Amino acid sequence: MKYTLIKAIDVAGLNFLTPVVLLCYGEEPAKQLREIGRYIVLPLLAVAVAVGVWVLVAERIQTKSGKLPNPAQTWSAASAIWTFHLREEDKADAYLAEGSNRAQMLDETEARLAKLEAAAGIIESKLSSSQADASAAVDAKQSPAEARVAKATAEITRARSRREEALLRLAQKLPAGSPEGKEQLVGYVRAHEAKKQLEREELKALRDQLAAQQAGAKPEVERWTRLQSSVAEEQQYLAKKADLLAGANRAARLDREKAQLTEAEQELLAATGADALAAARRVERAEGRIASVAQSAYAQPATLPFQTKRSVLCVFCGFLLGSAIAIPIGILCGLSKTVMAMATPFIALLKPVSPIVWLPVALIIVSGFIPDPDKNPLVQKLWALPWMGDYKINPAFIASAITVALCSLWATMTNTALGVASVDKDHLNVARVLRLGFWDRLFKIVLPSALPLMFAGLRISLGVGWMVLIAAELLSSSEGIGKFVWDQFNNGASDSFAKMVVVVFEVGVVGLLLDRVMIVFQRLVSFDGAPAAI
Amino acid sequence: MPNSLRFATPLFCLLLACCQGCGTKPAEVDLSVLADLEKELAQGPAGATAAEPTSLSTRKQQRTLDLEKDALKLGFIKLTDCAPIVIAKEKGFFGDEGLQVEVIAQPNWQTLLDNVISGELDGAHMLSGQPIAATIGIGKQEDIFTAFTMDLNGNAVTVSNAIWEQMQENEPRLKQPRPEHPISADSLRPIVEDMLAAGQKLQMGMVFPVSTHNYELRYWLAASGINPGMYSPSDIAGRTDAQVELSVTPPPMMPATLEAGNIQGYCVGEPWNQQAVAKGIGVPVTTNYDIWKNNPEKVFGVSKRWSDENPNTHVAVVKALIRAGQWLDAVDPSGDLVNREEAARILSRPDYVGADFAVIKNSMTGHFYFQKSDKRAMPDFNVFYKHHCTYPWYSDGVWFLTQMRRWGQIAEPKPAQWYEETARKVYKPEVYLKAARILADQGLIQEADVPWETDGYKPPTDEFIDGVTYDGRKPLEYLKAHQIGNQD
Repeated sequence: MKYTLIKAIDVAGLNFLTPVVLLCYGEEPAKQLREIGRYIVLPLLAVAVAVGVWVLVAERIQTKSGKLPNPAQTWSAASAIWTFHLREEDKADAYLAEGSNRAQMLDETEARLAKLEAAAGIIESKLSSSQADASAAVDAKQSPAEARVAKATAEITRARSRREEALLRLAQKLPAGSPEGKEQLVGYVRAHEAKKQLEREELKALRDQLAAQQAGAKPEVERWTRLQSSVAEEQQYLAKKADLLAGANRAARLDREKAQLTEAEQELLAATGADALAAARRVERAEGRIASVAQSAYAQPATLPFQTKRSVLCVFCGFLLGSAIAIPIGILCGLSKTVMAMATPFIALLKPVSPIVWLPVALIIVSGFIPDPDKNPLVQKLWALPWMGDYKINPAFIASAITVALCSLWATMTNTALGVASVDKDHLNVARVLRLGFWDRLFKIVLPSALPLMFAGLRISLGVGWMVLIAAELLSSSEGIGKFVWDQFNNGASDSFAKMVVVVFEVGVVGLLLDRVMIVFQRLVSFDGAPAAI
Repeated sequence: MPNSLRFATPLFCLLLACCQGCGTKPAEVDLSVLADLEKELAQGPAGATAAEPTSLSTRKQQRTLDLEKDALKLGFIKLTDCAPIVIAKEKGFFGDEGLQVEVIAQPNWQTLLDNVISGELDGAHMLSGQPIAATIGIGKQEDIFTAFTMDLNGNAVTVSNAIWEQMQENEPRLKQPRPEHPISADSLRPIVEDMLAAGQKLQMGMVFPVSTHNYELRYWLAASGINPGMYSPSDIAGRTDAQVELSVTPPPMMPATLEAGNIQGYCVGEPWNQQAVAKGIGVPVTTNYDIWKNNPEKVFGVSKRWSDENPNTHVAVVKALIRAGQWLDAVDPSGDLVNREEAARILSRPDYVGADFAVIKNSMTGHFYFQKSDKRAMPDFNVFYKHHCTYPWYSDGVWFLTQMRRWGQIAEPKPAQWYEETARKVYKPEVYLKAARILADQGLIQEADVPWETDGYKPPTDEFIDGVTYDGRKPLEYLKAHQIGNQD
């Protein structure tokens, strides 16, 4: 049991758990505790320190275009994203609800709406009273400050006009000629202008102070405003949900369409001649509408969980495509020095090309093949797939996947070539002695010994692909994490930056998981159980 | 390990087979019955029975349009004037037409247009200049139709605090908490000249080469004798002879770019001017309401191909948009806009415009902050329905064409007739009127809300910042009336 566990931990690359397991079995407790201290406690401490630094830094970095969100704001942004997702799911369910379930949901929604209505009234009155308090407080501080600014302005204006007057008098006294006197005059003017500049700055500083005072924090007002916002948002969501449960519900729409069909059918029975034809047309049309309503779903906006899944799907598509290209070429390069020499210029030339360059190229090529996605047979087939169909694969998705493939295949290709080229000469000699054919030699000798390096390459490729994908989605506006980030940037709301920080963590976690999956594969194929780098 | 490779091939084949198998096919209709119909025809003409259907059934036919497509994807840019599309979805106006509509944010105007052209989107919130430019082939050529104008006004020109202070120095009249409007670029000209003398050029931002913002900013500058530069086939940045250089910056990046000092001012839609005030990095000096009173701003565009394939769906979409515009401009007896706060709440959702509610609310409820100390009522800052604004006016199209010619985006002089023909190619009042007719018959809009009898040209107006008269029927005279830019 113990050894199975340790083996499993080792394969999964979670070696920091080994001392815990050993400790549970009571093996060398002092040594295990030391190990735990080094591999678990210290990293956790480092995380805690990092969070502390984050809090401190977040307080200091506050520019006009935004401020760095602190952990608490990030957490609340994450829950806002999640709430939005849950609400949209809920609306989609509401659209499909039927029968007694629908009636019950409608009742609950309306009860909640009534409760919120009452709450909104109370919040409104609280908000206005707190606003009145806050503005009274500001006014109390404001008037002396305003007086200060006014006084300073008046003083400066007076001083300035006095100086102007003096300059004029001096100028009038000077006769024509007299270069020295004129020189002096220019000096005075220069000083005067410099002084003016200083005064302007002084006034500006005073005014800024005043504005800062005005804009100063009003915690009470902010608290009620936030509450009001969240109540109003919930109200809006519930109102839409109630609508989706009542008139706009699928079952309700179907009932209406069916009633129209019955009506049309009755008319058809009664009618003759051209009227009968018109009624027959109506029947046909009503049937068509019933079919399309019965299949319809709530047009749900993409939420982050959906976008994440789509991104992961996209990165795997690109990764598989890239591997399918890279592995055969890599094997050929490894087997033959000639092929390697021929391929080298291409690899060297194309490897450093940025995803930003590949993406437009891929987009142009893909949209050349798929001019009208709604009618393209390939796209239609992809949409009809049982599980992948939900992700609505479109040209932007395909172009992003191709970009991922083009950027990520190099690591796999070079590693495969290296792995194949460095097969033990003895093994190859044995193969020669046994007179193995090309394919047997490839599958029995070369590939098995190249696999560990190949998987190391695949692991790097997947990591690169994941990084590239976010940028590709951002540019191609393919629904995914990249698009989420760009949308948030475009929103420019007060919590947009916090939502982007949430994405930083999300991308990191997903990337980590992908990497772990590859580590498991890599260990499974390593004969010597060589420890993979973390 | 090699064994697993042997399994891979059949597995792959299996997967392919799955893909082949699970394509859903619609129920097949038995086409052989058509042969019977042929026989019927052979027996002789239908004769007297082919009379017009009675009026009762025509009315019933109109009640629900025969939609060619009922699941649509519409694109928009995160600006408050996308409101008609968002409202039509959220308030169920699309649903009333039997449409399930997905509303998808687009990263920039170019991608939005590309997606409409490629068929990825069925239609989109577009700059007024975009359908025209695409149709006459500035950039990518594709025939784009518009049958619905989304709104009037809604933009402003913002300058950085430093420029604003210098403008105040040049024009002491501006030095008060609530300076008198409109503010022209006269007080900006000495700054531009000083910078030119020092070998520098003032940099300003706008959102797209054929955007309303570009033309408005150019109009404002040129009205005070500042040359914003000419486009030419060899200068697609439009900087030939420029005294002020304009560059394209995506709307959301305007405030950050201004603060970074790369530009000293910009012209953009909401909420990005109010953001500059809220963050204290710039001062909106003029709105486009002052540059041209009640100017057309955004349109709803679809590709010609799409419109030809889905004529009834197009009418249904326009119906829903007209009702959304009406909802947005609904007023109570005292003349206050009643639905705008709710609209601002909806627009502030992260999948729509997504900016803070308070910021969106400012302009949407008819107020505009020019400075923190200067909040003014601007009931017509966004117009979605009043003044027959949703109608696709030919004269609007002609105005944009004159601006494209004025600044050299149209390289050769064109005859007056060309302007009219091009406007007719893009603006489709027939679709609009069809939609409006049904709505009026259903009693959902007033007869007076629609200019039924118009020839598509608004009456001549001189409500521009420079007082020049614009008559859509005389584009060449209008071009001649300006000093800066092409005059023919």
